[in-house]
Amino acid sequence: MPPFRLTRRSALALGGGLAAGLAAPFAAPRLQAQAARTAAMQLSWLHSVQFGGSYIALDRGYWAAEGLEVVLQPGGPNAPVEPPVVSGQALVGISAADYTAAAVEQGAPFRILAVAMQKNPFAIASLPANPVNTPADLAGKRIGMALANTPVLQALCSLNGVDVTAVEVVPTQYDAAPLLAGQVDCLLCWATDLPVAMAMQGVEAVTMLMADHGYAVHSQTYIATDASIAERRAELVALLKGEVRGWTDYKADPAAAAALTVRMFPDAGLDLPTQELQADRQVPLMFSDLTDANGFGWFTEETVAANIETLALLGRKVTPELWDRSLLEEAHG
Amino acid sequence: MRGALEAMTRGAGPALASTLGLLLLWQALAMATAGAWILASPLAVLDWAAERAGLLTRATAVTLGAAAQGFLWGNLAAMLLALVSVLVPRSERVLSALSLLAFCLPLVATGPILRVLYGPGTGPQVTLAALACCYTTHVALLVGLRAAPPGWLDLIRSYGRGRVTALLQVRAMAALPYLAAGLQIAAPAAILGAMVGEFTGAERGLGVLILRTLRGLDVAGTWAIGGIAAAAAIAAHAAVGALARRVTRAPPPVILAVAPPRPGRGPLARLAGAAGLILLVLALWWAAMEAAGLPAFFAKRPGDVWAYLATGPAAGLHRAQLLGALGQTLAIALPGYLAGLALGVGIAAALVLAPRVAGVAMPLAIALRSIPILATAPLIVLALGRGAAGGIAIVAAMIFFPTLVACLQGMRQTPAAVTDIFDSYGAPRLTRLIHAQAPAMLPAFFASARMAVPAAILAATTAEWLATGRGLGALMATVASTSDYGMLWSATALIASVAMLAWAGLARIERAVLARAAPEQLS
Repeated sequence: MPPFRLTRRSALALGGGLAAGLAAPFAAPRLQAQAARTAAMQLSWLHSVQFGGSYIALDRGYWAAEGLEVVLQPGGPNAPVEPPVVSGQALVGISAADYTAAAVEQGAPFRILAVAMQKNPFAIASLPANPVNTPADLAGKRIGMALANTPVLQALCSLNGVDVTAVEVVPTQYDAAPLLAGQVDCLLCWATDLPVAMAMQGVEAVTMLMADHGYAVHSQTYIATDASIAERRAELVALLKGEVRGWTDYKADPAAAAALTVRMFPDAGLDLPTQELQADRQVPLMFSDLTDANGFGWFTEETVAANIETLALLGRKVTPELWDRSLLEEAHG
Repeated sequence: MRGALEAMTRGAGPALASTLGLLLLWQALAMATAGAWILASPLAVLDWAAERAGLLTRATAVTLGAAAQGFLWGNLAAMLLALVSVLVPRSERVLSALSLLAFCLPLVATGPILRVLYGPGTGPQVTLAALACCYTTHVALLVGLRAAPPGWLDLIRSYGRGRVTALLQVRAMAALPYLAAGLQIAAPAAILGAMVGEFTGAERGLGVLILRTLRGLDVAGTWAIGGIAAAAAIAAHAAVGALARRVTRAPPPVILAVAPPRPGRGPLARLAGAAGLILLVLALWWAAMEAAGLPAFFAKRPGDVWAYLATGPAAGLHRAQLLGALGQTLAIALPGYLAGLALGVGIAAALVLAPRVAGVAMPLAIALRSIPILATAPLIVLALGRGAAGGIAIVAAMIFFPTLVACLQGMRQTPAAVTDIFDSYGAPRLTRLIHAQAPAMLPAFFASARMAVPAAILAATTAEWLATGRGLGALMATVASTSDYGMLWSATALIASVAMLAWAGLARIERAVLARAAPEQLS
């Protein structure tokens, strides 16, 4: 693939062609970040304490100490992580093993360099009066979810011998309201967002973490292209070093990370109590005996093998070569 | 200045009454849906906003700033396109087609490209706001530039002057009311476009905040943001209306024209024209992506789509999947389209028949158009469910507004000489509506019917994504999350093709009707 270079002229041509000159007058494209030691990291969602360790790395100068300037680009519903990483606009993207596997199947040359969420955050949230405590409880329930996640539900059911046709899928927005309003009996969501929102409204939901029932998919993974690994290895290692230090600090004091997040992004509409609760709830997903022994972001042949098995249930055929731990080893080194 | 002030105070009474009515309706609805976590009462919303005045002010400034820039560029582009179409009539078909196609592009396909091109900042928001304005203003202006008595144009010609003089002296004046309607349609669209543009990874703005409140069960916050968007759109609508009233002094003239002879294009020539247009669009599509150096991973070229649907492995499967989804989408889009048109015409007629009673309708209509459907869809789903009825209602709610504004403006174009006759006979309002205002409205109605074609298809995909979980909308949401950009661009091309076909079909109907009702539009 030719390297992605964007010039003012080419952007003008695009505006002139595609939109009959619409985009041209205000085309002010950013040149690819190629100045020495500047790297963009494409986050998978809006700014929040979900990326608290990265904010600590930025705030405490952990990347500056490596001579690296890192730009953290927020995501959003129409901001997939893969395109900026493929195009080279971002050096690293925060993805998940299932998304990465799908992109690789479509020809993206990605590797997974590190794993922030050891346990996948997907969960089934329900109300105490009609709880889903185990996958078997799903039978006969109405589940609210994005239809795009149907393979996830199917994988959970087949891992636990539950007949997926016995679950009624209701396509909903990513919102806890349908559960509270009784339109559905449970939700497929992240353990760290909709249940936190309900808790902040005084409703303590029952949260069944899918990772506790065999669903092994690395989440919040750091991805980069083969070309970047070959050509910008030092920057990648420096970036991972900062992440490791930032997230190690995060584990020591999640509340400080929440406070920093709120302070750093005053326009993001974050409130401190919500961020604190979310910060606490993602700790057990990110840190385990494995990371205690080897450090943040670690993975092993065993966890990779478990991932390959679950990914197969999701219809994704991948090999262990999708994962490359060598840069993380250098970062920890 | 003083005139504007007088106009404002004159309009203050009904405006106050309609605002009050709207608030009462809102309060009643909030009480009726309590416990569903989808609508907060006006007081709760006000309370929420007051606590976060600083945050909201900053977010509003960012989003409205992007919306204003997009409004400016989008409408300037529309004016340019319309002017060229009138000065070089042969270019009209091509320019209209390109303007329609730019409007058809779904955000799931364009979002990543815009963000990669612009990087951080408001580039994508401004572009999407501009794209949301350009097509509708372009269509409205084309009608307006032709809404002049042929005798006036003959007069210009008899003085030996050409198209430029005709444009400046006659057409531009005739187009002003239509331009005003176009801008009124564009204002809420630009605000919504800027908000949705923030979904491509913006740092701040109302769109960012509404994502936060929607996920955070923050119902008061969601409606505070929706309320700000609606208030800004209502203000923009009113400002454009006031400006238009100041600029247009002359009453609408009587336009008596005869239909020009049908252009003698045989079926072969028409086929060649269509083929040329398709080739041009494909060439532009390819050239734009190549020139920008966009990776084929997420920016699929025409050749990639052809391989995906025709020659590649599993092409048959892909086609079947796509066509099946299209059928489901059309089953919502078509009834939604008709319902939206009917709703627009109906409210416009109601406003003409009973301007005072229906005073609440216009602000409510603008609010429905400018509050993101993410916030309003749950209300519709609650009332009508997630089946076809809910989907159709979402489509109608998303598209009726341009029809309402255009038809209302069209009815106002009823020649004064004609309404005078009805008045002098003391004819009832309904008679006047049916025999004078409805025929005068037809060019504007057809313009809005053309505006609504691509809007209805896009609205149907949104409804499918938010409520029904079927069709092209659900398919695009799914493949976007699995990097299946081959399917995503195939769906985009299909949507564009269907919109073009529907548009061409509509043009034939329009021609037949306007040949009797408004022949000057066919010149």
